[in-house]
Amino acid sequence: MISLKGLTKRYGDRLAVDDLTLELRPGAVTGFLGPNGAGKSTTMRLVLGLDRPTAGTALVGGVPYRKIRNPLRTVGALLDARAVHPGRSGRAHLVALARSNGIPRRRVEEVLETVGMAGAARKRAGTLSLGMSQRLGIAAALLGDPEVLMFDEPVNGLDPDGVRWVRGFMRSLAAEGRTVFVSSHLMSEMQLTADHLVVIGKGRLITDAPLADVLAGSSLTAVLVRTPHAGDLAALLRRAGMAVERCGENELEVTGAAIERVGDLAHEAGIRLHELRAKEASLEQAYQELTSGSVEYGVGA
Amino acid sequence: MTATLRQAVGAEWAKLWSVRATWWCLACAFALTVLIAVTLGGASATDALREYDGDAGAARAAGVRVVASEAVVSATSFVQFALVALAMLAITSEYASGAIRVTLQATPVRGVVLAAKALVVGPVMLAAGVLSGAVATGVVYAVLSADVFGGLVVLPAGDAVADLLGTGVFYALVSVTTLGVGAAMRSAAGTLTVMFMLLLGLPLVILMTGVPALLDASLRMPTFAGLAFMGSTDNLTGGPMPYPAGEGLLWLLIWAAAGLAAGLAVLRRRDA
Repeated sequence: MISLKGLTKRYGDRLAVDDLTLELRPGAVTGFLGPNGAGKSTTMRLVLGLDRPTAGTALVGGVPYRKIRNPLRTVGALLDARAVHPGRSGRAHLVALARSNGIPRRRVEEVLETVGMAGAARKRAGTLSLGMSQRLGIAAALLGDPEVLMFDEPVNGLDPDGVRWVRGFMRSLAAEGRTVFVSSHLMSEMQLTADHLVVIGKGRLITDAPLADVLAGSSLTAVLVRTPHAGDLAALLRRAGMAVERCGENELEVTGAAIERVGDLAHEAGIRLHELRAKEASLEQAYQELTSGSVEYGVGA
Repeated sequence: MTATLRQAVGAEWAKLWSVRATWWCLACAFALTVLIAVTLGGASATDALREYDGDAGAARAAGVRVVASEAVVSATSFVQFALVALAMLAITSEYASGAIRVTLQATPVRGVVLAAKALVVGPVMLAAGVLSGAVATGVVYAVLSADVFGGLVVLPAGDAVADLLGTGVFYALVSVTTLGVGAAMRSAAGTLTVMFMLLLGLPLVILMTGVPALLDASLRMPTFAGLAFMGSTDNLTGGPMPYPAGEGLLWLLIWAAAGLAAGLAVLRRRDA
């Protein structure tokens, strides 16, 4: 649904987005990760036609955003929850948006109900808590029942219940076949929400892969083996091209192979195992490895 | 009107009436119109009487009349700022809160957004001008037709209709100019500064310096072009404008078009 080709945005002499090419698929939650200043928000603004790319294209369903008629019915986006006139009620804000895209008035009440802020709909936006503002922003994104949803840091300011609600909500939107694109800096949250990950650093694409692959690709994902014949097994596995580290008298940490392969090799060689288990890296760790060296404002190690 | 523009106009209409600032600005404009029109009308009548040493009979015999609705026309030079504030807020408040990005997400064609705002703000200002003017004219006539002013204050229906409509059109065009400047400047402070200089600051400074070449140009700036258009004979410049009403309207249209063009150019070129 969303396809970026060579997307580039330069502000003065700083490249905010650098030759980004990727496709976002429907039916999945794509997590958009990167350090602060990596270009996540800029990328989203470029997709929405708010900023003009220096080079390249961002297409939604094959056309540039600015060419879409009634775009809220195709793309719902929440970039900044505070971007509402502080003196206008949440409901009035949604009513104006609905009118601009020919969306029936009853839809306003529906989305207010969906995000659980029907009770606060008459309050002026400037008096809402950040959490309520996020809900209003999500309501605005849902207004046109769009195929594509983009959220920039949607769980900022939400309480734990709200965070769980957003997570379940993103998953259900994707399950309905929609394209869901969510940026976040909360790795534990993304690990639970995303199917697919796009990681950028300094505006450049670092990874575009399924979550499972990103986790499996981490050097911290390993197979732990405990065996009375650690020396023999280590030699065997090294010959099979695996990286083996001896962690103790009887323990090995093997990377670069699936757990089944390790077990099979040991079995074929007749080596007894006392323990064989996978140690999976967290997204946090995998992410650290991917982005080390591309942190915008690094704290010198 | 295309469907997109019609929808955008509906959205802008909803936005305009859902904030308190709109009501405050309109209330200010109404109150100021009445107060200033009564003051200026009273001053005109007093001046006219003084010329005939207080002899109202002689003044009337000489054909001296003070048209009540003309006080409303004279008041536009001051009242316009309450409406400029309203027109300005229609765009700068969106930049202040960041809501402009939501507006542009909903209506990505920049020209449509600006046109929709102009189509809402313009007619609202026209109505505000006519209505506030009608109320003020009534008050001016009620207060100043008293005997102390020697019955010099009159209210011919034809003049009143022309003055009130003229006032409305003037406010509408100045507001559209403001909208364009607001879109170009993006901030309330910048917009107010530009509009104040354009409407009052520059023309008054030029008036004071009295350089003939500049004077001619300053009389074509919106406030004075408006006075020419509305057929004002008694105003800040001390007399009628040296060109016809039609030319005044033309200048007002040129200023509005220039403002919109500047606003559209910035909206189109700069990132939101």
